[in-house]
Amino acid sequence: MKRRNFLKASTLASAAAFVPQFLQAFQAGRLENSRTGKILVVVQLSGGNDGLNTIVPYRNDRYYQLRPRLALKPEEILPVSDELGFNPSLAPLRELYDQGWMSIVNSVGYPNPDRSHFRSMDIWHTASGSDEYWSTGWLGRYLDHHCTGCPAHHALEIDSALSLSMKGQDRTGFAMSNPQQLQKTANNKFLQTLRDHDHHDEENVAYLYKTLIDTQSSADYLAQRARRRRSRVKYPVSAFAKDLKQIAELITADCDTRIYYVSLTGFDTHANQRNRQGRLLRQYAEGMAAFVKDLQQNNLLNDTLILTFSEFGRRAAQNASNGTDHGTANNLFLMGGKLQTPGFFNAAPNLDRLDKKDLIYEIDFRQIYSTILDRWLDSDADRIMGRDFQRLALV
Amino acid sequence: MKGSEKIKHLYWRAGFGLTPREWETRRHWTVERAVDELFDRASQASALQLDGLTENRSVEELKKLRGKKLDQAKNEGKLQIVELNNGWIKRMVDSRESALLERLCLFWHGHFACELKTPKPALAHLNMLRQHALGNFRDFVKAVARDVAMIRYLNNQQNRKSRPNENFARELLELFTIGRGNYTEKDIKEVARAFTGWSSDARGEYVFRSRQHDYGVKTVFDQSGKFDGDEIVDLILRQKATARFVCYKVYRYFVNERVEERIVEELADDFYASDYDLAGLFRRVFTSDWFYAPANVGTKIKSPIDLMVGMMRSLDVQFGNPKSISFAQRILGQVLFRPPNVAGWPRGKNWIDNATLLLRLNLAESLYNEAEVSFQVKDLKATSASRRLRKMEARTDFQPLVDLYGRGTETEIFTALKDYFLVGSAAIQAQQLAPYVLHDRTENYLKSVTLRLLSLPEYQLC
Repeated sequence: MKRRNFLKASTLASAAAFVPQFLQAFQAGRLENSRTGKILVVVQLSGGNDGLNTIVPYRNDRYYQLRPRLALKPEEILPVSDELGFNPSLAPLRELYDQGWMSIVNSVGYPNPDRSHFRSMDIWHTASGSDEYWSTGWLGRYLDHHCTGCPAHHALEIDSALSLSMKGQDRTGFAMSNPQQLQKTANNKFLQTLRDHDHHDEENVAYLYKTLIDTQSSADYLAQRARRRRSRVKYPVSAFAKDLKQIAELITADCDTRIYYVSLTGFDTHANQRNRQGRLLRQYAEGMAAFVKDLQQNNLLNDTLILTFSEFGRRAAQNASNGTDHGTANNLFLMGGKLQTPGFFNAAPNLDRLDKKDLIYEIDFRQIYSTILDRWLDSDADRIMGRDFQRLALV
Repeated sequence: MKGSEKIKHLYWRAGFGLTPREWETRRHWTVERAVDELFDRASQASALQLDGLTENRSVEELKKLRGKKLDQAKNEGKLQIVELNNGWIKRMVDSRESALLERLCLFWHGHFACELKTPKPALAHLNMLRQHALGNFRDFVKAVARDVAMIRYLNNQQNRKSRPNENFARELLELFTIGRGNYTEKDIKEVARAFTGWSSDARGEYVFRSRQHDYGVKTVFDQSGKFDGDEIVDLILRQKATARFVCYKVYRYFVNERVEERIVEELADDFYASDYDLAGLFRRVFTSDWFYAPANVGTKIKSPIDLMVGMMRSLDVQFGNPKSISFAQRILGQVLFRPPNVAGWPRGKNWIDNATLLLRLNLAESLYNEAEVSFQVKDLKATSASRRLRKMEARTDFQPLVDLYGRGTETEIFTALKDYFLVGSAAIQAQQLAPYVLHDRTENYLKSVTLRLLSLPEYQLC
């Protein structure tokens, strides 16, 4: 009993006591050199968000012909340009738009689009062509190329599982749904003692032990950072907003994570789309508005770039169940204080020129990734993407 | 290497590990005897079945359904897929079944990777894998080309003379047979022409649509003729590169990610000379000295299915409801019938990141405690943004272990359990575990040591 108490006390008092020497030195260095670079936040809308009812071409007759019952009426939408307006649920984003903190890129996609959720999401995650099967993600490859010596949580996904986009060949991002819970799981006393005997020659054994040790140090670090700051901005009540708040608190606590990843699920609106998409877009917009405000109040908006995407848009025409089926090109949002082209980056999608009833992409999403990798994350985009995509005036 | 270590290695790689009772008998066997046992049993295995399979529910029929009836039909199909998934897992776990055959089918399921969504083609696909897993690779490929699930997965229904679809042809060459670098884009186009009209009908059966078939002359690998699909397969298999490609993949899966080129070359020579006899190839792998070299033992990272099925065998795990088995597959990251894409599942370190590692290390304990697992499954088809906690409904049974080892001293129990559960040389000592296990009763000691051993990183390897 005594022995157990002793162990318990010592692990809680100083997790560092159990960390091998080489890691301790590394950790100490990290605390001093906190965030130096810019931050990227990726927001994934899972299920295929209907872009046409998100950013609405409210002056286009064709839109109303294609969607006789699903189209949003001109009086319902929030006009932001002569051609396009916001879905009413996006009202909280209006201020961001007016401040020049939001870019909307229309008609983003890739050649020979795939309409399967899984396949198309994989294509977005890996940045492969639609006839290639890659097992690493674009952010994972960024970690491979730029992250020798980075902590395991350099790229952090707020989720219980890690997305393919965050998996590299040699390095992976870090997944966590809640820092305190993670710390509890990772650092139970038994797993702690395993830290001490990580003397393994065999590659895979060594890899497992290294992953475990890295997980434990990151769990400690993140839990400690997460306690440091409490946000002063009021966030709406939703799981998504809670994730964003978590990210904001880590960023303001000077956490040394550079890439954050978060998802909002439920956009696969085959039936009765209007209410469901409205609810989800409201969650999205309210959460993002609070998040951006939070960053702005802490003078961090200029250091942050937020990318929002979905695996595909939906068909131009509505279906018989007042919903929409899987489509192709879609709009994509960037937010931040340092946007090169605030507002609309390009023209509204052309509804008169469809390919088999689907929108035709004008901008390859890999151009956007390449631009972000180059100009925001200061890395070598061509190496990470495997080819040269033309950069865009986004950041 | 000790004989018993070889047996343990063999049964992990050619099967899913041994139950405690099997281990106690077979550890004394020779490799030859064990290999014979594996192959004998495989030849006696029966086809998978699905009770109440909605026979011939055709696409046309489904299209006529609306509203609730359609939902009901779809739901029925989904439940049957879950049932089929569980049925297969149960075969992997059941020690009366052929572990070798189930292991090979899992390998082939990753090789001829195909998403299985509807019950009838799914069942046919799985039984096709079973039929050819140890047969001739030539027959196997020809059967795959006629497999309805595969035809649909790779769009061969849209492969018509007037407008060829190259999807099946491309994957046939790149992933199923000869591999990249051994064919041209022109070859793909020509191969696609040979498979035009290989389609499926509304009842979910293979059909050859002669009016959509291109009977013209095709030129593949610099040979010309009015080839059909079967003749194309023969042409592909005439290339030695195909034997090499298959052996390379077999070596990486069954032996080691780090490939000994010399050995693969030898395997390929024999495989080619035997005209693609799979039983011969696998028997050779499992009886070769190099298969038992220390570098190949206890160094493979278990796939989630390996981990789960191995644990189910050791602890006689019974899942409370069918969905629990599916849930476990999803959180660990490998769902049968749902390979990530046509290239199949990645291997080795790819299974591991911080989140999956913690889940894997804690899996035995969560099963033992029927823990509530706070895990949000990433579901692209989810209808809402809500997040749910799921309970691991499962029962474990330690009785076989208690019966076998429960009468020893602590040291004896520890040694026996370590010997049974861990493959290769794990450094863990009884003293290291001592503070973290129960000492009040022998049975509790045995249980807690087991749970600790199963949460070691070394248990992730086989």
